[in-house]
Amino acid sequence: MNEGLYLQGMSLLDFARGPALRWAVAIFVIGVVWRLGALLLYKRQDLSRPRGATFAGGAKTLLTRSAPPHELEKDIKFQHYSGYAWHISMFIVLLFGTPHMLFFKGILGFGWPTLPTVYITVLSVLTTAILLVLLARRVMNPVLRKISTTDDYISWFMAFLPFLTGLMAYMHVTFGMRYETVLALHILSICLLLVWFPFGKLMHAVMIWPSRYKVGAAFARRGVRA
Amino acid sequence: MSATMIPDYGVLGARAAAGVKPTTLSDDQQVARAKAAFIAGMTGDMATYLESCIHCGMCAEACHFYIATGDAKYTPIYKAEPLKKVYRRELAPMRWLYRLTTRDITVEDLADWQELAYDSCTQCGRCSLLCPMGIHIQSMIQVVRNGLEAAGMAPAELQALCEEQSDKASILGAGPDKLREVVERVRAQGIEVPLDKDQAEVMVLSSALDFLKDDGVVAATARIMNKVGADWTIRSDGFESANFGALAGDVRAQRRISNRIIDAAIATGAKKVIVAECGHAYPVLRWEAATLYGQELPFEFLSVAEFLGQELQAGRLKLKNAGNGASHVTFHDPCKIGRMGGSFDDARQVLDALGLKLTEMESHGRTNLCCGGGGGVAMLKSAQHIREQAFELKREEVERTGAQSVVTACNTCMQSLEMGKARLNWDKDVVNLVNLVSDSLA
Repeated sequence: MNEGLYLQGMSLLDFARGPALRWAVAIFVIGVVWRLGALLLYKRQDLSRPRGATFAGGAKTLLTRSAPPHELEKDIKFQHYSGYAWHISMFIVLLFGTPHMLFFKGILGFGWPTLPTVYITVLSVLTTAILLVLLARRVMNPVLRKISTTDDYISWFMAFLPFLTGLMAYMHVTFGMRYETVLALHILSICLLLVWFPFGKLMHAVMIWPSRYKVGAAFARRGVRA
Repeated sequence: MSATMIPDYGVLGARAAAGVKPTTLSDDQQVARAKAAFIAGMTGDMATYLESCIHCGMCAEACHFYIATGDAKYTPIYKAEPLKKVYRRELAPMRWLYRLTTRDITVEDLADWQELAYDSCTQCGRCSLLCPMGIHIQSMIQVVRNGLEAAGMAPAELQALCEEQSDKASILGAGPDKLREVVERVRAQGIEVPLDKDQAEVMVLSSALDFLKDDGVVAATARIMNKVGADWTIRSDGFESANFGALAGDVRAQRRISNRIIDAAIATGAKKVIVAECGHAYPVLRWEAATLYGQELPFEFLSVAEFLGQELQAGRLKLKNAGNGASHVTFHDPCKIGRMGGSFDDARQVLDALGLKLTEMESHGRTNLCCGGGGGVAMLKSAQHIREQAFELKREEVERTGAQSVVTACNTCMQSLEMGKARLNWDKDVVNLVNLVSDSLA
């Protein structure tokens, strides 16, 4: 079918749910695979005798790096726990909000129990608030100011937008727009996030695993728990 | 307990730097050379690390220089910024975008990073242990050093020592002849030192940094080796464990220097090579030398602490109680032997066998706080102030243990602790493990 003619009779919501989402997912998948190409760069052969098992050390670090050593944790409590709070809240909202579950059910063919609206609303507000605090910290903290790039702010915005539009749709705060329009904006914000994902630091959700594995293996080779 | 007098590295470094000629490279040549070295040092592992950074800044809280000063420029990942920039523009999958939106590195950038890659990084690796993304930051800062060195921008102290050691196999004029003098003086004390044996099971390394002012460590090591009945030698053609190629960031010099030891060990038929109490030498030899040599080695490198631990376990090293009024000690893990080397328990087993009461510092073992002098920083005059600030963190941790003595197993750590003691009129004893053992042989 001619895509132009197809689009003419389409509402914004149809567009968001249809071609926008399909293209966004395609860009997301191709982009992630392409960016993983960095991992294929030259690897040096290490001829020293290992002291410990690199595979086991790398695999262990995938999890253990989630909890830093006690002596080091005391000074990073805020970053550490705010990071956890934001990621956990985000996944709960994403997976256990009823509209989200129904969306996934439409794709996967099966559903799962969800949380009552009030919990999802509270968590969404909480997550949005954490994001705002983290942004303020990035702007105000001297260390973060020193190492931040435009990517950090774009990626923050890409993560923030779905929560903002999601809350608007969920709480029917539409600023005079039709509900369907707000819902379409919410889906489009997800599309935007998916398109940006491979090109910015959101990609850390993928890169964290090879990176943790490699540092774990490097330390394990020397007999050190990482 | 007796402490070892060791030379002031800062003075030695300044002496070495006096003869360095300024680089004749143009700005463009300097940038080109630095970039080539960055790209040459880039591996898939490093690319993964660079792709992973989320700019969370947590690594700052692991760095003794940041903790001591609160200055954001000492954030570890920031010290690797030139490498990041070159990776993004030259190698990253997104390089087309970065070439449009970022500028290339300049010679001014490189000059600014000299302080960050050398003066304020002891390559202790603590940041690599904290990063939630699992980024091996320390290895990236070493590549920054490689780039700066290639551009002729390594600190004069390290550059001079690197060139001398690479070309003449000596440090501050102390080469094989100086070793022979030291050996003769130790022999005059009635201690047998088998110099330049053709064949031996164990080859022991030393360092001019140890014996330039004092023969004590060579004498103590010889006493121990003789007591455990080792078939050992020290070779004048491969005795120097320090590697100023690695510290300056010159990979070719590093290879040349470590190859001398490997060639001497192979010629001797050694099964074990004991690395002197020289912090950086251990990981350089234990973890990097074989790869630079191009083949697996027919012997193993052991730190002195590791060797002592092995001999203790085998029952060949017998010790009497060392407690003579200062029996309460704390152990300072040298970063290069512990976190970057993998040896933690050996020294503690020795302390236990000496009947010493050990109280650990809050940061010990793999999370140990650096003394502030590693990675060549102890040699740099420009780093003196920041080094002293970082030392304060170590001093406070030692104080909190209530121990009377600090034991360590690295001559640079000894230097930092001794200098801190002298400067602050600190009432702690500072003791190295080899001397402690040598004084307590049963």
